[in-house]
Amino acid sequence: MTSIGIVLAVIVPLTLAAALGAVALRPLAARLAPWAPLPALVSSLADQTPAFELDAALLGLRLGAPDPATRAFLAFTAVLWLLAGTFARAYVGAHACSFWFFFLVTMAGNVGAILAGSVATFYVFYAVMTFAAYGLVVHERSDAARRAARTYLVMALGGEILLLAAFLLVVRERIDLPFGDVPVSVARSPHRGVICAFLVVGFGVKAGLVLLHLWLPLAHPVAPSPASAVLSGTIIEVALLAWLRFLPLGVAPLPGLGLSLAAVGFVTAFYGAVVGVLQVDPKVVLAYSSVSQMGLAVVAAGAGLAAPAAAPAATAAIVFFASHHAMAKGSLFLGAAVARETGGGWPARLVTLGLLVAALAIAGAPFTSGALAKAALKDVLTAPSRGAGASAALLSVAAIGSTLLMVRFLSLAAPAADAEERGPRAGLWVPWLVLLASGSALAFHPGLRPDPRAALVGWGALWSGGWPLLAGVALAVAASAVLRRLGRAAPTVPPGDVLVFVEAAVFESRRGIVDARRRARRARRRLQAEAARRLRLGRRVARLSARLQRVDGRLADLEKVGVLLLGLFAALLFLLVD
Amino acid sequence: MTLETTLPLWVLLTSLIPGVLLFFLPERRHGVRTTINISAACAKLALTAVMVRGVYAGRRYETRIPFLADVDILLRADPFALLFVTLSAALWLATTAYAVGYLEGSPHRSRFFGFFSLCVASTMGIALAGNLLTFFVFYEMLTITTYPLVVHRGTIEALRAGDVYLRYTIGGGAVFLAGVVLIYSLLGPLDFVERGALPLAAREHRVALVVAFVLLVGGLAVKAALFPLHRWLPEAMVAPAPVSALLHAVAVVKAGAFGITRVVYDVYGVRLAHELGVMRPLAILAAFTIVYGSVQALTQRDLKRRLAYSTVSQISYIVLGVAIFGTLSTIGGIVHLVHQGLMKVTLFFCAGNLAEELGIHEVSALRGVGRRMPLTMGAFTVGALGMIGVPPVAGWITKWYLGLGAFTAGEPWVVAVLGASALLNAAYFLPLVYDAWFAAPASVWRAPSGRAEVNLWLLVPTLTTAALSLAVGVFAGFDFSPLGWAKLIARREFAE
Repeated sequence: MTSIGIVLAVIVPLTLAAALGAVALRPLAARLAPWAPLPALVSSLADQTPAFELDAALLGLRLGAPDPATRAFLAFTAVLWLLAGTFARAYVGAHACSFWFFFLVTMAGNVGAILAGSVATFYVFYAVMTFAAYGLVVHERSDAARRAARTYLVMALGGEILLLAAFLLVVRERIDLPFGDVPVSVARSPHRGVICAFLVVGFGVKAGLVLLHLWLPLAHPVAPSPASAVLSGTIIEVALLAWLRFLPLGVAPLPGLGLSLAAVGFVTAFYGAVVGVLQVDPKVVLAYSSVSQMGLAVVAAGAGLAAPAAAPAATAAIVFFASHHAMAKGSLFLGAAVARETGGGWPARLVTLGLLVAALAIAGAPFTSGALAKAALKDVLTAPSRGAGASAALLSVAAIGSTLLMVRFLSLAAPAADAEERGPRAGLWVPWLVLLASGSALAFHPGLRPDPRAALVGWGALWSGGWPLLAGVALAVAASAVLRRLGRAAPTVPPGDVLVFVEAAVFESRRGIVDARRRARRARRRLQAEAARRLRLGRRVARLSARLQRVDGRLADLEKVGVLLLGLFAALLFLLVD
Repeated sequence: MTLETTLPLWVLLTSLIPGVLLFFLPERRHGVRTTINISAACAKLALTAVMVRGVYAGRRYETRIPFLADVDILLRADPFALLFVTLSAALWLATTAYAVGYLEGSPHRSRFFGFFSLCVASTMGIALAGNLLTFFVFYEMLTITTYPLVVHRGTIEALRAGDVYLRYTIGGGAVFLAGVVLIYSLLGPLDFVERGALPLAAREHRVALVVAFVLLVGGLAVKAALFPLHRWLPEAMVAPAPVSALLHAVAVVKAGAFGITRVVYDVYGVRLAHELGVMRPLAILAAFTIVYGSVQALTQRDLKRRLAYSTVSQISYIVLGVAIFGTLSTIGGIVHLVHQGLMKVTLFFCAGNLAEELGIHEVSALRGVGRRMPLTMGAFTVGALGMIGVPPVAGWITKWYLGLGAFTAGEPWVVAVLGASALLNAAYFLPLVYDAWFAAPASVWRAPSGRAEVNLWLLVPTLTTAALSLAVGVFAGFDFSPLGWAKLIARREFAE
């Protein structure tokens, strides 16, 4: 196996995107677009692929999949893009060409960011992914889509700048610094604190850390469902991979930073759950669920940062968690779209069952990939540190939150069984089903598990996965009973929660600026009028400039000037020849 | 008379001679004029390529012509000169082709192309100048030959803009001359030398050197449009689009930035300049101009005016890179000379296409135009993303090196300025890009007259420069890329 697959993984989507530009090639390119992730999928399966290096491109292009973590990310990314692509073929109606263009470019950026072997290469592909994803968010071109896209872009740009600063501080003079040397470079840097803070905030925008999450609940509902699937399943998870690459995990103990990161993770997990439960749009609920789940992954990163001994376990846990989340969340987003198309009767029941399977995985129910992911996270948290008991308890509380979110989602998204019987199109349900199956394979294929010894069945696993689930369902039932008794609807929070305040503040200050400018203009005009009255000078200047303009008018006959100049150049030439 | 001693002169003459010929060409001989123009531009490009290969192999090209008693007119092709020569030669070809299409059917074309060629000849002289006097001669020649281009349309507005332009640039030239005289009277005639031409003994004249520096850079700052000497540039955008393109990308503003770089590196020497303590104020001024230009651009409703203020901001990237000590920032500054040229020429071409084809001048009129002119707006998008610094378009290389240079030199505030500038650039470019692609058109556009969305003479240069902007970012690691060349220059300037 040569590195050709790695190169094709990036080149193929870009080539197809370029081919969309030519009218003649457009139908062909659009037909091939869903299959563009195939090279990435194939190269993720090969065990040892040599890296691809090309010094002439970028600041030294480095692509490769040297470690299992990279290959795992590549694998689930390729699978999700592939199935989202096939799903999109049936799903996307209007602006299909524009959709495929941004779809392909975002995919290239995503795959390239995973394969990147140096900081500069990563920066390029990450930016390509970020900016191209804008096109996916804005796709519907509605007011809501525009607002979501604007919010996304502003936050992404801010994050981008912090990341650039962090990258530059990491790289210093070694412009093509390979990723292998990055953690050490960060650990040894005199600006370690600043770098880590910038990295956390910069990638936090993508991952949706609390208060940096504002774009997620706006973008997911407006983007086409297959786009939401990859957005939530792979794009935001690139941030996790990036943290694994950049943060000095396992190199230097950073207890302060690690614990604060873990704390931020927990806050994010709970915040996402609480605000998400109060939503009325199923896709917004899923977005908040993603925020919440990313919080849990960040907790593991924090733990690994705090204690180098825990770092390998943390890495493995995060990688498995990301794979599981990509499959399950992707299934839920595609499933939500399938459910919307489904009428009633047995199709409705089957679709609900499919949604339930994916939802159980997110909730971490026994016998699902979610249970394994949660067990891996728990391993990381309970191993070394003193606060182990507390964090394990918090993890269980978070699992209750996840369950609540899933209950809420199912109640909003499941098709009504009593409606007229109508099945979804095969173009939609087949890819969805394949994705569900891949997610389950993650749980049942021992080679894919984070720890092959981890028990999928057994009383311990059943209990630790089961009780938060039962507690969550009980809580949901109780809450709805209480609400019914009180005769009230559940309280709601607008999607994007605190964004509403930010927007109000921006609006106010913008009005303030406009007012101030208007006042300044009025004052200036008044002053000018005053000055003109007081000083006769103005009139004199005007007269002078009028005269100058007359002179100018004469000079406007530029042929004369041209001939004049020619003389000048003739003189110059004469000098030169001399 | 070997190739080594005549080639710089020939590069100059390939645009000077056509310029002279074109004045005598009857107005209606369009075919001949276009042939002369394009073949001259191609010839220049070929000669430049020869010199680039030669200089890369370590050869020297130098034309020395006795001028005054002890001062020569010296044309010399060192790597830095060649960077500018190559940029000018390539973009001259692009802008000439563009101008052929743009001015189709309009009067005074002989005059226009004559001055256009002379303007490029002056730029070549500036690039190849081997000492301050030669530089000054061509610098002034540039001022004069550009004026007819600015006022080409002959409207009151254009004449007024020409007035402003002359007032600024002639003033700047005079100040620059004062600086040259001061240096010559102190130290005698000096040729540009890498790592600085001033002899060690010059350090005694500390105060005089600082004064001379202020005069030289102050004079050059007019053309480089540093705050507060930038006002002429937004006025001058009344010129026809190809002129604006040339003005903003190659000729005038670049001459200023190029001159500042020459003065810092090859007259004073970067170490001496920093010892004198003049670089920090220059860096702060440049940083301020970067932000100021962007803020001003944000408020402009006219597309070309917005682009003009964007130039004010972007040119200061070059000055900023020059003013921060270190190899990396120097590379960033020098490479932006080329990057900004390619991206800005693309943007002005696009503005010209929009104005020619659909009569669009205001930024608010771009809604839905992407559907009518997808290729033009594609090029515009590339240029705009490059200005923001979105990889892989050229601009990110600049940002990367400037930022690295700033951190290495212990000036982290520069990175904050770069970040703020990127955000501001996004704020004034991205809404246009959004409108063009995603907004519904306000009216029905006029159908294209030919098969392409706009005259091919206009479209091909636009797409070429856009593709180049992308290519120099994607293939930055290539030895002959602008980045590779800038590294070569910086290595020589900082060699011990």
